[in-house]
Amino acid sequence: MRDMVPVLEARGTRVPSAPFVRFSTLWVQVTGTWCNLQCVHCLNASGPRDPWLKPLCAERVRHAIRESEALGVKDIYFTGGEPFLHREILLLLGFALAAAPTTVLTNGAAISEATIAALASLARDAPYSLEIRVSLDDVDPEGNDRVRGRGAWARAVRTIRRLHAHGLLPIVAATEDPGGEGQVGPGLYGRLRDFLVGLGIDKPRVKILPLFPVGRLASRGGDLLSEEMLDGFDRARLQCAEARVVADGGVYACPILAGLPGARLSAGDLEESFRPAPLSHPGCVTCYETGMTCRNA
Amino acid sequence: MTASVNALHPVAAYRRIAVFGGVYSNALALEATLEDARRREVEAVFCLGDMGGFGPHPDRVFPLLRAGAVLSLQGNYDESLASGRDDCGCGYTDPRDNHFARISYAYTFAHTSAENKAWLGSLPRHRRVQLGGSGVLMCHGSPRGVNEFLWESTTPNGLLRRLFRDHAADVILCTHTGIKWHRALPEGRHLVNVGAIGRPENDGSPRVWYTLLTAGAELEVEFVPVRYDQSMLARQMDAEGLPPEFSETIRTGWWTTCLESLPARERARGRF
Repeated sequence: MRDMVPVLEARGTRVPSAPFVRFSTLWVQVTGTWCNLQCVHCLNASGPRDPWLKPLCAERVRHAIRESEALGVKDIYFTGGEPFLHREILLLLGFALAAAPTTVLTNGAAISEATIAALASLARDAPYSLEIRVSLDDVDPEGNDRVRGRGAWARAVRTIRRLHAHGLLPIVAATEDPGGEGQVGPGLYGRLRDFLVGLGIDKPRVKILPLFPVGRLASRGGDLLSEEMLDGFDRARLQCAEARVVADGGVYACPILAGLPGARLSAGDLEESFRPAPLSHPGCVTCYETGMTCRNA
Repeated sequence: MTASVNALHPVAAYRRIAVFGGVYSNALALEATLEDARRREVEAVFCLGDMGGFGPHPDRVFPLLRAGAVLSLQGNYDESLASGRDDCGCGYTDPRDNHFARISYAYTFAHTSAENKAWLGSLPRHRRVQLGGSGVLMCHGSPRGVNEFLWESTTPNGLLRRLFRDHAADVILCTHTGIKWHRALPEGRHLVNVGAIGRPENDGSPRVWYTLLTAGAELEVEFVPVRYDQSMLARQMDAEGLPPEFSETIRTGWWTTCLESLPARERARGRF
């Protein structure tokens, strides 16, 4: 899998960077790129076999959370891969929730009824909000499964229903034009909201993400940011100005680029990573153009 | 605890103050709030910003603020109006939130006089006062960001400790979210989100809230409900052609817009 990920190369011109403004968000790449699905648009080319980015052991995660809490973290996100494949995910979510509001990103395909009951219990007892973000790229099963794999739609929708039944308010996350063919337009947000209301979900929550030229879509390539393009642009708005990602191999600038050598800011120490992040990947252009954030809001 | 800091920068000292935020063009609630605070014999009244937005006739709040000698801060809405920005700077990322925010901002911008916009531009971003033995820092969103949301369920104690330390304060007062809350840390520091008087707080009641702070052996924090003629306000909103979703909130106390920025726990408490 590693050969699918572009290694950043030095360029002749100066690489622009984003300042480190403050530490707000800790991302934990808890299962690396180990996933039960193999989506065609996956940001980090995750899949079920031989993850190029290894899962983290529980102690590494707990250490990062403790370090983050002392540094005044505002929120914590768990991602992968599929976080619910981690054997200790519930314990780790509980540990994180004692420190800060916590979100877990999931494809919803591997969450049992018992796990959802445990999540509801965690949410009830925690001092801070627990958010569950479930990926669903289309209201139409065929459209979704074309990019996420056969059966993915049904399993995700079942999980969304169960989360709702347990009083959790899932955020449904979708990628615009996941096939990269211009098939899905700006009405995706409204369609997903209507779909959720149709399921009986009275507080529909939807997050739309842009398509990134990274992971399995890295071959689409794209321009790189230059100092000229960034002239007059407030770089502090970029999420790498206030987020850091703990993943196998170190601390990285953003969840989109976790594991890529050019985005590594320290070998493991969080505070050491609090320095400007190079904006040297085509994915940085997507953040610049869309103003997107991987956070919930 | 921050006496040494305040000694270097002398600030006004009080024993009892009233603080509110988020007027949102609700002149009727503002009038009722000021009247209530006067009855309670406070020494000063503070507003943490966002005079406009959401409600009708934005210019009606400014004479009340001036006549009431309200010491005001600049919120994100005020900053946007004063600087002629094309959006409210509320910090929403959701398309539905932004749809209604655009309608609200366009109306408010068009109906706020140049004189009042200039006044908004002259307001400070922060204010420090002494309340008994406590150094108080007032801000709109958070001490570090005018549009940072500090919700009760998403503001961890570790962050609060950092804010108290970085900004040399014993008490931080903020608004911006529109829902009040208070947390006292074991070391005697307090974060108080004073809530908003311009819009009910998504609890099914049309009342709004302001905050009384009284110095003592322990800081006393009291949230005060304010009732006003919400039916009249809703009629004014409808007459001005503002979205019916806005006046519905005023009538019922349930939020119908700006919902997507709510964390799960706060969202679960509402109807929508």
